[in-house]
Amino acid sequence: MSFLAVSDLSVSIGEKALLSSVSVDVAKGDYLCILGQNGAGKSTFLKALMGIISFDTGDITLEQQPFRLLSQKQLARSVSYVGQNHPILDMTVSDFIRFGRYAHHDAFATWSTTDQTAFDTAVALTDIAVFLERHCASLSGGEYQRVQIAAALCQQAPMLLLDEPTSSLDPHHQVDVHDLIQQLNQTHQITIIEVTHDINHAVQHSQHILALKSGQVLWYGASSDLLTSATLPQVYDQGFVTVAHPETGQLIALTSEGQQ
Amino acid sequence: MNPAKKVLALITLFTLIILVITPYLGLSDHLTPAIQQKILMDIRLPRLLLAFIVGAGLAVCGLVFQAMFHNPLATPFTLGVASGASLGAALSVFLGVGFGFLGLSSTTLFAFIGALVTIRFVYGISCMRTGFSLHTLLLTGVAISFFFSSLILLIQYLNDLPDAYRLIRWLMGSLSIVGYDAIWQLLPFIVFAVAVIFYLSHELNLLTTGDDIALSRGVNVRKTRFLLFVTTSLCIGAIVSLCGPIGFVGMMVPHICRLLIGQNHRWLIPASCLFGGGFLIICDTIGRLLIAPAEIPVGVITTLLGGPFFLWLLIRTRTPIS
Repeated sequence: MSFLAVSDLSVSIGEKALLSSVSVDVAKGDYLCILGQNGAGKSTFLKALMGIISFDTGDITLEQQPFRLLSQKQLARSVSYVGQNHPILDMTVSDFIRFGRYAHHDAFATWSTTDQTAFDTAVALTDIAVFLERHCASLSGGEYQRVQIAAALCQQAPMLLLDEPTSSLDPHHQVDVHDLIQQLNQTHQITIIEVTHDINHAVQHSQHILALKSGQVLWYGASSDLLTSATLPQVYDQGFVTVAHPETGQLIALTSEGQQ
Repeated sequence: MNPAKKVLALITLFTLIILVITPYLGLSDHLTPAIQQKILMDIRLPRLLLAFIVGAGLAVCGLVFQAMFHNPLATPFTLGVASGASLGAALSVFLGVGFGFLGLSSTTLFAFIGALVTIRFVYGISCMRTGFSLHTLLLTGVAISFFFSSLILLIQYLNDLPDAYRLIRWLMGSLSIVGYDAIWQLLPFIVFAVAVIFYLSHELNLLTTGDDIALSRGVNVRKTRFLLFVTTSLCIGAIVSLCGPIGFVGMMVPHICRLLIGQNHRWLIPASCLFGGGFLIICDTIGRLLIAPAEIPVGVITTLLGGPFFLWLLIRTRTPIS
């Protein structure tokens, strides 16, 4: 049974179609990576799933519930989201992470032990206990990214949407965040949908890949099949060669120097 | 004790001291105790209470705008909402509309509609094309303020002289009242606004992080914003129709409270109410004493303080409008 079923999803702003007829099924515990050129509709897709932008036509069902009938609060109990650009916030890290419990509270709720457990778990998983009392503005890019993920995890939703979580990080912190996502997916059974530009990361770590082009599904399948697929050059309008990784023997893609 | 609690206790103490001391300032010793008593009870006390609730209302509305638009410069006054309310009120007086609706006087109703239409319009413009832009919001607010001020000038020009003079005095913002009627008229609006805003304090906390994060944490941003627009418009409309536009209280007070007490609206809302009330009482007392026995309207005092404060904010904030 699918956890998330998207069928015929279309989103447009004014005359411009950002997504047209996108359909995809995501099973519980799946790890889906979304690839595609800039402007292919990847972020739009995530935002539609989080209710940040509304969609024109199509249907989304989440745990058998029609998306349109869910309140934003109900949605946030099932889905959490880490966006691409993080505003610099005028508050401490711990205050920001606490906001993650909003969806579980009514107007006069007080901080409960359940909340504290969720908070502690999120902090422990992302390993940010040392700068909990620091100001958000004082963090480095890598630290702030972990804080954003912690804030989303504090929501304790079974599905996590990540929009290019590693694109502004150095290689060391990229591996850090990749490991964290992997752990969330495998150990904690959180369903992950991640937008990324890193083909090799997507192929190695995710279970499925959805390639979007101009708002439409170009390719969908098991991640391990992408590199051998004939569609690969079309994803970015760029040729690739594949070689075996010297250490692991896994296939990796390198951009091709020669003519396509 | 939680530091926020401590600050709130200090602000409460400050306000109480102000409440107790200011009525006695400038009270002539030559008067008989009976007359002194009468001045205190019939003139000073109602004016003090009015200043308190108006200050609290303006401060809390300013707080809401700053949170909704994530910027200390965005307030009902700077975004033209107060001008919209003034125009509505001036229009209802000019047209001589005399009906009431659901217990609202026509002036209050017109001011409310003026405020609500303005904020919807200014916000709508700022969201056109590429989504919300703070630059556009603030600049549209400035443009709308100028435009409405001209329309009010036009109304003044078309009025006969005594009415025009009354309009000018009212536009300066004044708290001079006698008796308690005005307070009873205004109090329900302020209490309603503060209650709704306090009820939405978690949502306000999240709105300060931006719409995307607020939505992904589960806030129904559209509904919350609509509720806040209506509530603050009602509050501003009621205040403006009674006392005129009193500027910059909604900018200075919440910003100072943020510096004192932090970003949590659970504490910021009561702090802004108390501090706003105390602050407006001080301004009104200064206006009353500075060139006594004549009076400077309180709106002139707050604007004189507010202008430099606005500049200070611009210079102090690294990226004031980004």
